[in-house]
Amino acid sequence: MRLTTPTTVTVKAVGREKLELPKHLFVLAVLAIELLPFYMMLQISFKNNVMFNANPWLPILPGATLVENFRFAYHLILPYAANTIFVSVTAATANLFFAILAAYFFARYKMPFSNVLWSAFLTLMLIPSVTNIVPLFTLLKKLNLLNSLWGLIAVAVASGQVFNIFVLRNFIEDLPRDLFEAAEMDGAGHWKQIIHIVIPLSGPIIGTLFILSFLGCWNDFLMPLIILRDPQLFTLGVGLIYLDGDYAKDWGHIMAAFFMASLPLLIMFLFTMKLFIRGLSAGALKG
Amino acid sequence: MAKVVIENLYKIYSGEKGREVTAVDNANLVIQDREFVVLVGPSGCGKSTTLRMIAGLEDITKGDIFIDDVRVNDVPPKDRDIAMVFQNYALYPHMTVYKNMAFGLELRKFPKAEIDKRVRDAAAILGLTDDMLERKPKALSGGQRQRVAVGRAIVRKPKVFLFDEPLSNLDAKMRVQMRTEISKLHTRLATTMIYVTHDQVEAMTMGDRIVVMKDGVIQQQAAPLEIYNNPANAFVAGFIGSPAMNFLNGTIVEKSGDLYFAEDSAANGALLKLEPEQARKADAYLGRSVIFGIRPEDLQDRLYVANSDPGHTFSVTVEVIEPMGAETYLYLTTGAHSLISRSQVQLKVEVNSTIELVANIKRAHLFDAARKSDFAKPNGELDTDKWHAACPLIF
Repeated sequence: MRLTTPTTVTVKAVGREKLELPKHLFVLAVLAIELLPFYMMLQISFKNNVMFNANPWLPILPGATLVENFRFAYHLILPYAANTIFVSVTAATANLFFAILAAYFFARYKMPFSNVLWSAFLTLMLIPSVTNIVPLFTLLKKLNLLNSLWGLIAVAVASGQVFNIFVLRNFIEDLPRDLFEAAEMDGAGHWKQIIHIVIPLSGPIIGTLFILSFLGCWNDFLMPLIILRDPQLFTLGVGLIYLDGDYAKDWGHIMAAFFMASLPLLIMFLFTMKLFIRGLSAGALKG
Repeated sequence: MAKVVIENLYKIYSGEKGREVTAVDNANLVIQDREFVVLVGPSGCGKSTTLRMIAGLEDITKGDIFIDDVRVNDVPPKDRDIAMVFQNYALYPHMTVYKNMAFGLELRKFPKAEIDKRVRDAAAILGLTDDMLERKPKALSGGQRQRVAVGRAIVRKPKVFLFDEPLSNLDAKMRVQMRTEISKLHTRLATTMIYVTHDQVEAMTMGDRIVVMKDGVIQQQAAPLEIYNNPANAFVAGFIGSPAMNFLNGTIVEKSGDLYFAEDSAANGALLKLEPEQARKADAYLGRSVIFGIRPEDLQDRLYVANSDPGHTFSVTVEVIEPMGAETYLYLTTGAHSLISRSQVQLKVEVNSTIELVANIKRAHLFDAARKSDFAKPNGELDTDKWHAACPLIF
């Protein structure tokens, strides 16, 4: 008896491993497809056009070309990156600031027709942003905000509101009402309640929304293309397409620039991944 | 320290389909300075709503609240100089215990040294160690959290303390301990305290005065023993006291010149002779439906009662015996009504046996029974609590 029991267990474990293998292979295959563009971008950034035409797929050892490509990319990208960081940080911060205020109101206060107001507000999520482009352009022109980073920020702040308020409102509604009431008895007005209760307790979700807003601004292509004219105001999204030369494409330069442009996001994501995942799963479990 | 006056207070919510729900119905209450008043009643009786209106967390539909003769209807909670302890503690989970207690003082811009002194004084009173002050609430037990919640209230030195079922999340042992600690705290701080609970034991043991509420209406307000001995109606009689008062439905009948309570029963129901003083009060109810109420300790097995009056004796069948050690509970039935008897002796009776029960008739109560059909639930069943609340005390 003592011998048979462990044997059974081993057989079961092997059986499970056999089942796991195809799953692992599938996951690895998906991962490979996901990482292929990144791999291509990285390995091409090591090459010049001659090397690329001779060997488009396989990596080569880093050499002088790599340094030349990245030096070019660095000088090209720096002003674009500075503009992008300025726009992304300002827009994401302002976005969250206004969204928290609105979400706090919707979550904590009921007034006549507040549900109607909320529903009307949510329908904005259903309107495709592309349909707004022409009126938006006209509006920005009238406000004298065309060809200005502030114009870009204003559009980013406004367009991110609905989603952020939607997420934050649900989160704030789930915070115990007693906490707000205790703070009220302690002498906290609305501002203090937002600063001392809402923001600290919504940390993960605010962090996640900040990252999402930041990513949205960083990766935005359409709005900068429409709003910005002067090359010195370009953000990365538009700046990089001008690398796509009229007659010949210098693939090494392009890919080195693309790689450098995506590097800050990669680093940011690596450091904030835990927060990001926590934020996405917030509210999934009570307690 | 303050006097709290509630005058003609109403809270009406607009429910579904425009139907109005009256949570508090014309409440009138004067809470004296330094008094410990307990609002007690079943769920949904309006006790917490009343407390929240005193706190300013709920708008007042009609009526007035005065704190120290100042009408506070439109004064925001933070300016009423009151502190509240919540049922779920409501401690800020991201702050340390120290910070939780200091938060209210910081917002009121107290000097740091004063804040530190008050927090440490409160912690000493409540037995919170320095180590605990540096912990977050999640690292504390339920009892410790409740202490912090009380501490947060006392550091502010408010005029009035409000407690909203503060012990209901604690286990039985901790509840008894915290109950005495809050009573001690009241003696020590000598401040007006208003305490809401659904637990009649807490109400009886803690309050200088108990206010019993039902369906938004104050049923009775008096000292604990006054309520126990002279309940205003059958609902109060049944709600205060554990185990609850026994009720027998019946009529007042006359027999050989004496008045008797005759239980409504198919056969051999209890027939209990009233004392002369009781008979005088019950005379007007001759032939009418009444409710006879008697507490479990006033029903005893005849074998253990010396010189029992046959006019106060009736037969019952034993259904369940609960020996509690110091006392014994007998769950009995007359056939038509279920009863509980509490005895200080360890009885020798058997389940399903018939015993003779003696009622201490001097301590019995009689309530004028309202028409049952007026208190039917939508499904046709009798809403007993509502019916009992409409049955006033005769004696």
